[in-house]
Amino acid sequence: MLYRVIDSQELPALVEAFMEDYEVIAPVESGASYAFEKVTSFDEIKLDYPTTITSCKKYVLPPRETLFKFDALNNEVTDFTVKVTPRVIFGAHACDINALNSLDMVFEDSRYRDPYYEARRGATLIIGISCTPTESCFCHLMEADEARTGYDLFLQDIGGRYLVSIGSVTAANVLESACNPREATDEDRIAFRQATRKRQESFNEEIPDVQEIAMLMDAFHSDPFWDELGSRCLACTACSSVCPTCFCFDIADTLGPDGKTGRRERIWDACTSPQFAMVTGGHNFRDSNRNRVRHRMYHKLNGFLATHDRMLCTGCGRCVRACKAHISPIEVLKFFEEKGA
Amino acid sequence: MSGTLHGKRPKVAIIGLASCFGCQLQITNMEPHLLSLLDQIELVHWQLASSDPLPEDFDIAVVEGAVTTKEALETMRRVRRRASVVIALGACAVTAGIPGIAAPEFDDHLQTVYGTQVPQAAGNVISPVPISQVVPVDWEVRCCPIDPADFMAALHRFIVGSNKLPSTATLCGECKRNERGCFYGRGQLCMGLVTRAGCGARCPNLGRACNGCAGLSPQANVAAARRMAQDAGIGEARFNTALQLFNSVELQAGA
Repeated sequence: MLYRVIDSQELPALVEAFMEDYEVIAPVESGASYAFEKVTSFDEIKLDYPTTITSCKKYVLPPRETLFKFDALNNEVTDFTVKVTPRVIFGAHACDINALNSLDMVFEDSRYRDPYYEARRGATLIIGISCTPTESCFCHLMEADEARTGYDLFLQDIGGRYLVSIGSVTAANVLESACNPREATDEDRIAFRQATRKRQESFNEEIPDVQEIAMLMDAFHSDPFWDELGSRCLACTACSSVCPTCFCFDIADTLGPDGKTGRRERIWDACTSPQFAMVTGGHNFRDSNRNRVRHRMYHKLNGFLATHDRMLCTGCGRCVRACKAHISPIEVLKFFEEKGA
Repeated sequence: MSGTLHGKRPKVAIIGLASCFGCQLQITNMEPHLLSLLDQIELVHWQLASSDPLPEDFDIAVVEGAVTTKEALETMRRVRRRASVVIALGACAVTAGIPGIAAPEFDDHLQTVYGTQVPQAAGNVISPVPISQVVPVDWEVRCCPIDPADFMAALHRFIVGSNKLPSTATLCGECKRNERGCFYGRGQLCMGLVTRAGCGARCPNLGRACNGCAGLSPQANVAAARRMAQDAGIGEARFNTALQLFNSVELQAGA
């Protein structure tokens, strides 16, 4: 990995340089919260944002996207071009970069590559930025507090300047042209270690560090704990809507008002949606909130690990904030701790 | 030229019961598509546009409003016998909506409004019910008012077919996708916690809390939602009152 250092005052020039060739997406204020949105000037960006309501996943897997248009009268596909806007996501936290890396494993799996996802992902540069954990963050427990791959640049704030990890030639060229990147000194490296230590010490200590989570998920599969969580669930799917790694989708044909043409759309779906596991004939394989909540936690903390060797949960804490019923992986970790795990 | 895929334009009657007629008006608001709509159906009756009586022959009956009189009850039975498809249009038809607020302690309400003698013009009044309580309904177009696109989709369902199920999740998931923040964080009451999804959380997206016009989700966890609202500083009485706005009849039946 190549490292360079730039001054904080150089950031606007960096963003403006990206704006010349890309649509720049960055964290902005949305009411009392924050969201990733398109920006047209550096001043709109809130780089010290705690977290966003949903993640930058929406730019590679949109909540609703048209896969193709069709002519219903002649039963023909009329248009299937993926419209791809070259984008820079500026200011992604490490958890979200790790989330994108997990999504890549799913949608860029060589056995069934997803051309829509691939086209968007391929046209997107990721500029990461260091952060300070919020009280609902537990990325360090999911090994997602550092991004080792999956970014074009990663900016680590080391006090008035940034240590920049360079992940791609394209981004390096923009950095070189817009800023005056210099070699990192010993002083910079010491500041980097201090910043890293400070972040590591800032996590909410009330969130228990539990070992062998996946094994415990299997051990407590039938525990009454899941009935209690299920009894609280509102069946709203907010957890999945804000999750940076939930990738399940539904496909629906939508006719236009003329009844002659239509669109085949991919729409985010959620295993916590009551109808998710319902099949033809009406049988529902997960017909209770208990079973649906448990299933979601299993995929996040157990199932994905078995197939992809990493937790699907990144500990970003979004579902912790989104769930009005206080159902989240943190509750699961606390349950394991109570059990003496 | 045929306006439908099957070459058959269904005869459609649009009928209004107890309601503000706003949902029928929403149909006229889809101006860019009205001519296309009339190309796809044969509109044989529309109370809003003509005072001609309901004809004998139609395929699809679109019914707006709650059933609040014996006369409306008879109308619905007659409509159901003639139509192969009955579509409930809007909150009043689907949940009894605003007229339904009168359902609990109905006789007391009658007394308050009319005294001892209900005027003849009001008809033979009965406690308000959604049309699904008096005849089988084939599809429901929810909300107050309806989204005209949902109305078109409902017609298409029976003209060309569809296997889409009505959504049963509650609203917060759709709302989160709009990324506008949560009313409960601001100490405001929002009925999205228990209201059926499908509208795209349109009101919260425009800065107004959900008033529950899509009706209770069949999966609504009302007890848990009530506790959550209380935790957020919303009193139980306020939550219960808000819940009654569009769900009085269902709550009366013991939701």
